[in-house]
Amino acid sequence: MSSLPPLGAVLPEVTLAVSAIVLLLVGAIRGEAAANLVNGLAIAVLAAAGILVLVAPHTAVSAFGGSLVIDDFSRFMKALAILGALVSLILSVHWLNRERQSKFEYPVLILIATLGMCMLVSAGDLIALYLGLELMSLSLYVVAAYNRDSVRSTEAGLKYFVLGALSSGMLLYGASLIYGFTDSVNFGAIAAAATTPTIGLVFGIVFLFAGLCFKVSAVPFHMWTPDVYEGAPTPVTTFFATAPKVAAMAVFLRVATEAFPHITHSWQQIIAFVSIASMVLGAFAAIGQRNIKRLLAYSSIGHMGFALVGLAAATPQGIRGVLIYMAIYVAMTLGSFACVLAMRRNGNAVENVDELAGLARTNPMMALLLGGLMFSLAGIPPLAGFLAKYYVFLAAIEAGLYGLAVIGVLASVVGAYYYLRVVKIMYFDEPAEAFDPMPGELKAVLGLSGLFTIFYFVYPSPLINAAGVAARALF
Amino acid sequence: MTLLFVILIPLLGALIPPLVIRSGRNACAAATGSVTLLALALLMSHAPAVFSGEVPKAGVEWVPALGLSLSVFADGLGFFFAAMILAIGLLVIVYARFYLSREEPMGRFFAYLLLFQGAMVGVVLSDNIIALLVFWELTSLTSFLLIGFWTKRADARQGARMALVVTGGGGLALIAGLLLVAQAAGSYQLTEILVRGEMVRASPLYLPALLLVLVGAFTKSAQFPFHFWLPHAMAAPTPVSAYLHSATMVKAGVFLLARLWPVLAGTDPWFLIVAPVGLATMLLGAVIALFKDDLKAVLAYSTVSHLGLMTMLLGFGTPMAAVAAVFHIINHATFKAALFMVTGTLALLASASMAGVPLFNGFLSKEMMLEEAAHTAYLGLDFLFPVLASVAAVFSVAYSARFAIGTFLGPVRHDYPHHPHDPPLGLWLPVAVLVVPVIAIGLFPAAVAGPLVALTASAVIGGPLPDYHLALWHGLTPALFMSLLAFAGGAALILAFRRVDGVRARLPPLDAKAMFEAASGGLVVACRRIVAALHDGALSRYMGVTVATLVAVGGYGFWSATHAAGARPLLPVTAPALTAFLALVLASGAVLLFHGERLTALILTGVVGVVVALAFLQFSAPDLALTQISVDVVTTILMLLALNLLPKTTPREGSRAVRWRDGAIAGLAGLGAAGLAYAVMTRNGTSISDFYLAQSKPGGGGTNVVNVILVDFRGYDTFAEIIVLGIAALAIYALLDPALKGAAVRRIKAMLPRDEAKDAHPLILVVATRVLLPLSLVVGAYIFLRGHNAPGGGFIAGLVVAIALIMQYIASGYGWAAERMKLDAQSLIGAGVAIAGLTGLAAFAFGRPFLTSTFGYLHWPLVGEFELASAMAFDLGVFLTVVGVMVLSLAQLSRVAHRVDPSPESRAPMDVPLEGAASGAAGKED
Repeated sequence: MSSLPPLGAVLPEVTLAVSAIVLLLVGAIRGEAAANLVNGLAIAVLAAAGILVLVAPHTAVSAFGGSLVIDDFSRFMKALAILGALVSLILSVHWLNRERQSKFEYPVLILIATLGMCMLVSAGDLIALYLGLELMSLSLYVVAAYNRDSVRSTEAGLKYFVLGALSSGMLLYGASLIYGFTDSVNFGAIAAAATTPTIGLVFGIVFLFAGLCFKVSAVPFHMWTPDVYEGAPTPVTTFFATAPKVAAMAVFLRVATEAFPHITHSWQQIIAFVSIASMVLGAFAAIGQRNIKRLLAYSSIGHMGFALVGLAAATPQGIRGVLIYMAIYVAMTLGSFACVLAMRRNGNAVENVDELAGLARTNPMMALLLGGLMFSLAGIPPLAGFLAKYYVFLAAIEAGLYGLAVIGVLASVVGAYYYLRVVKIMYFDEPAEAFDPMPGELKAVLGLSGLFTIFYFVYPSPLINAAGVAARALF
Repeated sequence: MTLLFVILIPLLGALIPPLVIRSGRNACAAATGSVTLLALALLMSHAPAVFSGEVPKAGVEWVPALGLSLSVFADGLGFFFAAMILAIGLLVIVYARFYLSREEPMGRFFAYLLLFQGAMVGVVLSDNIIALLVFWELTSLTSFLLIGFWTKRADARQGARMALVVTGGGGLALIAGLLLVAQAAGSYQLTEILVRGEMVRASPLYLPALLLVLVGAFTKSAQFPFHFWLPHAMAAPTPVSAYLHSATMVKAGVFLLARLWPVLAGTDPWFLIVAPVGLATMLLGAVIALFKDDLKAVLAYSTVSHLGLMTMLLGFGTPMAAVAAVFHIINHATFKAALFMVTGTLALLASASMAGVPLFNGFLSKEMMLEEAAHTAYLGLDFLFPVLASVAAVFSVAYSARFAIGTFLGPVRHDYPHHPHDPPLGLWLPVAVLVVPVIAIGLFPAAVAGPLVALTASAVIGGPLPDYHLALWHGLTPALFMSLLAFAGGAALILAFRRVDGVRARLPPLDAKAMFEAASGGLVVACRRIVAALHDGALSRYMGVTVATLVAVGGYGFWSATHAAGARPLLPVTAPALTAFLALVLASGAVLLFHGERLTALILTGVVGVVVALAFLQFSAPDLALTQISVDVVTTILMLLALNLLPKTTPREGSRAVRWRDGAIAGLAGLGAAGLAYAVMTRNGTSISDFYLAQSKPGGGGTNVVNVILVDFRGYDTFAEIIVLGIAALAIYALLDPALKGAAVRRIKAMLPRDEAKDAHPLILVVATRVLLPLSLVVGAYIFLRGHNAPGGGFIAGLVVAIALIMQYIASGYGWAAERMKLDAQSLIGAGVAIAGLTGLAAFAFGRPFLTSTFGYLHWPLVGEFELASAMAFDLGVFLTVVGVMVLSLAQLSRVAHRVDPSPESRAPMDVPLEGAASGAAGKED
């Protein structure tokens, strides 16, 4: 009983953990009837955790012997991940009730996954990284197969699990190689030991990064993404597309910059390759998609490629670019999925892109906002999506990665094609029957996301400054 | 600062029309017009400064950290374009007021128009290139809104989409290009970039930057091969077409070429790309225009042709050609906007100018163009440009004539939807305003347009102007002959039009739009095919891709790096090692062969487990061997029970080739993993085992290092692990629970083969397990007690006892065993976890941290020297948990099997009918 670890610094995590357990008990005792109660409480808990993250003092704390690091970077990414989880949970309420899939386990699993993400974001050594990753992933495997009466959903969960297990194995393999060649699991100590890229170390980095690429669904470890996005219930897909991506990207950035700062050149190539492959595949593969969830899956693969451009630059500007990219990506994705969730006709969910036909006439506001989001996802100035790309490409150019930047822009040209196709279908095709009325919370999320995306350029400084402060914490 | 407001006023003013429209259409148009007028007036307030050679600047910081600022400057070029955009905008607003019918939402239309106007002015006045790019794409977006305004017509929709795809995509390419230019010049301000042309041209980034910028400019200005979108976009309402597709937006590309002329022009790549593209566009546009019957289509292709002309002139890269280009931009803006709003005789004048008839302004700039073309040699071909430019001029004369003849001299149509009437003042006044300069410049070029041309051209060239004369009569120059030739040829073409048209009709039609549609359709299909092949939903393929990538990356890393063999000497190959190795290889190979038959494969993996255990023994790790063998037995039993409920064979998937491919990937991955393991094992490294070996006895009081690690050094972990184990067992229990009911049972039943062994509980197995049970329990207790110092411990003991108990379930059936199992498995787990936890807490009583252990020694008869460590109690917790977990999960599995296949329940000690008891047992069964 010498001393307690600095629990104050990990208050958000403690809140999430304790609440998850309590809510699980509430659900277990009160049964299925408690589903909506637990959901509401979980939303409150996430909001509270988010506030705790935001009000925490701006000092860098190293807790549990360096296993967890709480600094400006982790605060930024945690706030973003919690925001993603919070909004996806809010978006799911109506949908799950309509589909009669409202169960109290769902919000609890989301809370646990969010806890894993917070650990992941704060991970200061390989062990904490792995624990956070698995806590997050195991919850995700379950929620992917959450609609267990649906063959698609269970298949998605199983595929995700098997491939995820494979990637976890690779990550562990890499982690053990790194440990073997540097004699440490702590990122700082690894950095001190890893001054020259020995082949064993590089192998370790490759395996570790392969595991992380799987989690951010970067090519060629993206294979699960379209199937899981399509198969999982839409609220789950919303969650998948936002919070876990943020957390995995956060740990990716931290490992790369904190553990291997002296051998940048040996991993820059890997990131550049993965980034190009993701951007190109994301752009071309999305072109032929008819299912909007699959389309957004490929789109997210492409976006992760764009974000990784910033990491490939391996400079504070690049990291700042990635952070801004992730923030804008989350905002755009939540808005887009609010629309996908609102695609219900006569009480049934529809997922085909063509169902949006003529939306501009049946629901002009939704069409306008979704159109704005699509233009933004395509990276058309002056929308937020353009500035997101601008920051990372600028960093890449300043780092001398001209090829990467040019290929990236060309990929976004190809990508523009399918985003604009959605706009064309909404605005120019003969109207299909109107969708069911949109629930209020979906309207709110879509409205906020759309307005943020469209008007971000007016006052971009706060996000840029926050991301800048966060990025400097890594250097 | 007023310069900034030239941009902001239209953008912010866009809010006004939708608000004012309630007060009537006139008020709305007036409000819109005054917004534009205000902007124009502000711009004009700078005119004296601009004409005196100053460059007014203004700007506010936007995001200074990123080099983003909203800064503007008005040199001659920017000033001229801004003035043109606003002036023509004003006329279009007046025209639109009368053009739009009462039902159409005028407020929205004017709002979009003002937005577009602001964006357009932004493009031409921006100093910061990022701001320029933003405005550039804003013009695409707002033009999309304007075109999308009339969505009833299918061709308008397609046209708008195509325009957006082409120009939007081109704009994105432009972003990359301008970023590269900025990088090469070291500044994001155009004013600085413009004076650093040398630096940019010398940079290695020049060529990629040039190509990307050109893609942006060519797509926007509808240059070949992107020329096809413009004519189809013209399905938009006339004021929109007049404004966007002739006067302003499509000129943005030409503007950009002129803007960056001092930076990018004058090199071989510039000339070799830009000039022929312009020429091809000019020619193609003119030829197609001749054969179009629709007035708007003629104008559209003629616009394409004229844009090509300007591009070609800029492409020549000479100052003289640049002056000609500037002059033609001015002239074209006047006559083409007039033509779009064509009404009455005024259009005759404008089309004469378009044809290049002397006394009109079009003639002058065309002369200059021909003059430039006359002495331009391309790749050593000195006739290419003069001849093709003349041919283009021929067609240009011909289509202008056809336009004029068709409109004013052609047969009277009687099938107009409405009776044509004399247009109101609002419709013809703007045209009249535009026609005035057409003639004025034509007659007195130097006086009317001289200063403007000089101002603009010097801004384009960025240096001293060449010696040129804007005059009607230049003497007998080659250009004049070419002009005359063009008129003669044009006249001949018109006279022979029917014949020529007949020839064209017989040629295969070349529809660029259809080609675009086909190409984009083909792209969609191709992408869909590739993706379908890549993401076919098969898990094996996904894993194949993942593993193959790793193998490839690993292989690349291995071959591209230097590496030396490990320094640690190899152990000698002994006969037992060789035997074990061969057994391992054979068993693994056999698994591969028999993996379709699941039971066989399971037994074979058991062989692998045994060999691994033997390997541990060989290397003097009996505790590991013991753990390995008991874990192996338990997992085998678990899987046997699970397999009992599953199909006995795996269906064959994939063709032979696919299997070979997968086999190759797997084989390579296996070799890679083996190589890595070999590399690590042949290297000397510090191992943490030494610490444990040294500290086991003094620190933990035991000589069985594995056990000491489990219960002492890493007691925390073990404690957490048994909790997890308990949870896992409960999860298995809960997950299998639904399998006991309704649909799931039926499904499993349907899957199972019917012809199972008739003897559900074989006598020999029953007898053997029952005899073995007490023996196993004793062995378990023994292993448990000696655990701290000799191979054994709670974990292994738990497995041994669990195996003995499970065998009862297997041999005698669930019912029989469950009845006799007095201890509830859940309670065992709970007790185990509780005991382990309490042991840890007990340390608190002595003021020590959680799980601090202590130990002392006792001598027990028979057992020998016996250590009584607090860890022993902890180990008991482990033992109980393991037993509970195994019994709970395995018993649940056999319970499911029992429910699925309710073979006769055995209640008696033996269900084999023994003498005497047979009748009684049988009676009970019934």
